Amino acid sequence: MTKIVNRLKFVNWQHFVVITLIAVVAMSFDSCKSSGKLTNKEKKAQIEMYKKKMKEIINGTTTLSLEDQEALIAEAINKNFGDEKLNDLILKAQQVTKKAYAAFEKDNQAKVAAARNKLFDLLVNKQNLSADQLEDEMNKIKALNLGNTEIDELLERLEKKIGEMRGYNTMEMKLKDKIESIFQSIVDASKAGNTSMANSRIDAVLNYFSAPDVPVLIIISREGSIVDYDKPTTIQDYLNFLKDQKENRNNLDSYELDDAGKIKVLDLIKK
Amino acid sequence: MVIVGLIFLSVGLFAQGNDDLSPQRKQAIDSLALEKVRDLSKYISIIGNKDTPWSEAQRVIERAVELFMPGSEMGVSSLSRPEVHYYKLREYFDRLMQLNYDRVVIDWYKIQYVSDLERQPDGTYVGVITVFQRFQGYDKEKGLVYEDTTKKDITVYVKRKETQIGGRLIGFWDVLLGDIRVKETSK
Repeated sequence: MTKIVNRLKFVNWQHFVVITLIAVVAMSFDSCKSSGKLTNKEKKAQIEMYKKKMKEIINGTTTLSLEDQEALIAEAINKNFGDEKLNDLILKAQQVTKKAYAAFEKDNQAKVAAARNKLFDLLVNKQNLSADQLEDEMNKIKALNLGNTEIDELLERLEKKIGEMRGYNTMEMKLKDKIESIFQSIVDASKAGNTSMANSRIDAVLNYFSAPDVPVLIIISREGSIVDYDKPTTIQDYLNFLKDQKENRNNLDSYELDDAGKIKVLDLIKK
Repeated sequence: MVIVGLIFLSVGLFAQGNDDLSPQRKQAIDSLALEKVRDLSKYISIIGNKDTPWSEAQRVIERAVELFMPGSEMGVSSLSRPEVHYYKLREYFDRLMQLNYDRVVIDWYKIQYVSDLERQPDGTYVGVITVFQRFQGYDKEKGLVYEDTTKKDITVYVKRKETQIGGRLIGFWDVLLGDIRVKETSK
């Protein structure tokens, strides 16, 4: 105890007080910075900056993306400056971004719907495009970056179809010819009064289809993007129709294959 | 494999600018309606043919009935009586199958519009097609025992509908035949 008291007597108290004061000031300065406390001048400058940014959003002159605008508004709200004018501008800016989001969403939905229709047309290859032409069309849709899972799936299917076309183009051509030839043979057999032959041709051609109820769509008119069809039927009914009417009024326009390489949708067109 | 959705959604003619059909599209539906009447004439000839097996005739009757609006009637006349009898379509086809002749030949010709398809306020196009029907009934021993020619008017209803097939939206024209009225019968 005596030793300690003696040591204290030798401490340079003046030096100690100065060091302690510096440390306290430094600490208080550091803690002020980390807690985000601003001087009035700084606060005012920031309020003005946010006001300016909010006005830009409201007037539509901002160069920020919608997401960045939303982040900026959230940031201004979190700062909680308690400035009435700024709060008012924040509310208005929020309404503007909300409207912009709604418009964007609507526009996006329209784009998705158009892309979906286009992709279905490409999948059945209505216009009889080559693999390269199909790929060009597909790339146009990809470039839209719609970020929609259904569109992505359809793009994947189209990509697969293009690959198949490149690999099996000759085979597909043969299939088209074969189907048309069997359709004609059903008509010919029926015209000749050979119903059993017509029926056996019907059974034979059904093997090329996924099922007897595969949809058959008959195009009666195509004008620009407007396509008019006859009432949809099934392949079984259509084959019997050929037999009954003894007439082949339609050409094969396009078809869609299933994973097993069988036709799952058939599009015909009036001759 | 199952058809992916053959859900018929009846919507008016307002989609795709149907209020104002181009001449090409109008022509397409005019032809489609005429074609349905020609289809019916073939079906009638198959059903009336004594060589058609019963099961086949039944299948064809189903297809023929599908061409009509529910409840439609067919007028039947005869040179031996002045009045015209009207039968519901299924009953008419059943009677046609059972006609008391050994051979029946029915032929429809001069199939044409007497009243063009006109758009109604509900979007349906309605028109009248006239046909001439030559009927011949044969007996095994006596040969041709009855023959007449009848002029008949058929009301046709055409309406645009939409359906979803495999994710594709299909706009199609649904053609339905209405009553078939006898206008005149002659030898």
